Amino acid sequence: MRKGFDAQLQALNTELIEMGALIEHAIQSSVESLIEQDAKKARRAIAFDREVDQKEKDIESLCLKLLLQQQPVARDLRLISAVLKMITDMERIGDQSADISEIVIFLSESPYIAPLDLLPKMAEATVSMVTKSIDAFVKRDLALAQSVIQADDVVDQLFSAVRQELIDLIRQDPANGSQALDFLMIAKYFERIGDHAVNIAEWVVYAITGVHKSNEEGRADT
Amino acid sequence: MTSRIFRTILSVVLLVLVLCMGLTTWILYTSFEDNLVTELKSELAYISQGILLGGTDYLSALPASSSRITWVAADGTVLFDSQADASLLENHSGREEIAEALSGYEGESYRYSETLSEKTIYYAKRLSDGTVLRVSGTQASVLSLLWQLLQPLLIVALGAALLSGVLASKLSRRIVAPINNLDLEHPEACESYDELAPLFHKLQHQQKEIQDRITALRHSQNELSAITENMNEGLILLGSDETVISLNASAARVFLADQDKIRGQNLIALNRSEQLSLVAEQALAGKPASSILNMRGRSYALYASPVPEQRAAVLLVLDVTEKQQAEELRREFSANVSHELKTPLTSISGYAEIIRDGLVDPADVPEFAGRIYAEANRLLALIRDIIRLSSLDEGAIGNQKEPVDLLSLCAGVCSRMQETAEKANVTLRVEGSTANLFGVRAILDEMVFNLCDNAIKYNKPGGSVTVSVRPLEDAVLLRVVDTGIGIPPELREKVFERFYRVDKSHSKQTGGTGLGLSIVKHGAAYHKASITVTDGPEGGTCIEIRFPK
Repeated sequence: MRKGFDAQLQALNTELIEMGALIEHAIQSSVESLIEQDAKKARRAIAFDREVDQKEKDIESLCLKLLLQQQPVARDLRLISAVLKMITDMERIGDQSADISEIVIFLSESPYIAPLDLLPKMAEATVSMVTKSIDAFVKRDLALAQSVIQADDVVDQLFSAVRQELIDLIRQDPANGSQALDFLMIAKYFERIGDHAVNIAEWVVYAITGVHKSNEEGRADT
Repeated sequence: MTSRIFRTILSVVLLVLVLCMGLTTWILYTSFEDNLVTELKSELAYISQGILLGGTDYLSALPASSSRITWVAADGTVLFDSQADASLLENHSGREEIAEALSGYEGESYRYSETLSEKTIYYAKRLSDGTVLRVSGTQASVLSLLWQLLQPLLIVALGAALLSGVLASKLSRRIVAPINNLDLEHPEACESYDELAPLFHKLQHQQKEIQDRITALRHSQNELSAITENMNEGLILLGSDETVISLNASAARVFLADQDKIRGQNLIALNRSEQLSLVAEQALAGKPASSILNMRGRSYALYASPVPEQRAAVLLVLDVTEKQQAEELRREFSANVSHELKTPLTSISGYAEIIRDGLVDPADVPEFAGRIYAEANRLLALIRDIIRLSSLDEGAIGNQKEPVDLLSLCAGVCSRMQETAEKANVTLRVEGSTANLFGVRAILDEMVFNLCDNAIKYNKPGGSVTVSVRPLEDAVLLRVVDTGIGIPPELREKVFERFYRVDKSHSKQTGGTGLGLSIVKHGAAYHKASITVTDGPEGGTCIEIRFPK
């Protein structure tokens, strides 16, 4: 009985890492399509979203099956509930990288108003956050998860900087406005992806320690 | 074994018990009978005396006893019976014992009662007057005797059975105890039954054999793990469903994984890249696959081969960063070479075409020919440099190493270049002291030449170039200092690359090949010398080469 349960838990673990790999590839493709102005890559990134959605459903049903059939307790229960929460955030990351790609397809028709500088930095920071949050889950690495939570400040600062840069661009030439707004949207999506990566990291912390940040500080999680 | 011994002992004891009881009963029975007969005989003897004296009155006066007394007349008529009315009894002459007594002297017979539970013994004797006296006694039969004894016998049997049961169990346990206490790990140290000695011997032999085999296995396993753990290539063994069965230390290092934690987990827990899962998938499907994985700025080649019988795969991970970089360099080099070769050739072919078509004033032909000559020279220089460089690259230089005086070598080079220097309005000087080093003269010559050539080419009019040679304790220092245009600090690494020029627009005028410093770098590497580039006087450059002794 326990052996079968362990095998199922292992399968759940693997499935979640697979989903993590999917969103990593999705967001990576989005970033590359943005930097290279490559509509083809952007379409590929959008295609990932469907896979991510399917994976979320699979993992969700596996979690529910485990909860109903095995009635797990303690650490196992913590893991399963953390996974249930994590896949929601992962699915949102998939959605947002698809959203970025859609904007990229639109942007790929005309040259950029200014060479991208801060945006790739921001993309790199977010991709690294997502990768680290999944790594933290794979290795059950508490310190890595904490570093993801802290890295969010960097992304937030970058967002402010990007925003300021875009404001300046519009001020220089109001014709820049349309593209600048698109870039702002992309930056916002990256900022949101960073938030989701933080959420994932927090659930990883919960799966390891049994304490979630929202309980610890007595406030609702953003 | 204990229970079997117990059962055997118990059954033997019980069998003996039953046999003993049966025999005892039989012996008792026969001795009872003998006693009865003797009793009857003696009774008959003294009663017969009494009858001769007192007749019927004596018999009547006899006290009642257990035996029955019958007096029979010679014709068989019963005269007296101690237990019945004589007149009612029929004639007894037909009774076996009486008939015997009548015909002889004594007679006897046995008769069983109807139920067989009693046996009556009759004993008759003819008296002197012709009458017969008969005495009879009853005795219980064997069966009834047994029946009567049944209860005590059962009690005894039960007691004996219980006792023998307890004893048998103790005994059997004691017999088995030494066998139970055997130390099978060390059969030679066992003290037990002699009968088991051959078994122990065999056991000991087998144990040694097993031990030897385990040692051999462990040896080969250690050997294998020593190989896999110490090899530079990463090795991963995959089971079906992409489970990591084992991975060596190198693979763990490449993927930043914990060797023990990752075992039994899915490959995706090791690395989530598409390339890795793709080659693993193909290999598990039975097809060898390979791919390149870029990770943290390094390139890794992945080779996956299937293990057909077991639905497993072996994954080899090789660091090919340097190899890829070298390949990249080679690609760049050949592209550059073709470009550099094409430029002078285009000029040559252009000028030649104009002359052939008669479009040039004959007076101008020498000038055009001069240009063709200059371009051809440039081409020759380039090809000569490329040949030098590739021979240096291969490290297979025919020239033997010999002791070379660097100072006189530098003086020789500078005297050859004096003319070029004067044309460029640059002063060329050699200073320092004699310093011997062990090297290839041709290469050293080439190095000094290229350094001076560069120093003159990239100089300002009226500038100077100083070549100095200084022997140190463990090295020979060659320094070429110019007052030229200088090299910006961030480009000081790059100038040694093939075809790299700081100022690309300037190259045509100076007529260099772009390979000079590259030849210097390779020559230095050949001599295991180190190169440092620092600022020279007046914004110039100072290149220092340190040849170890």
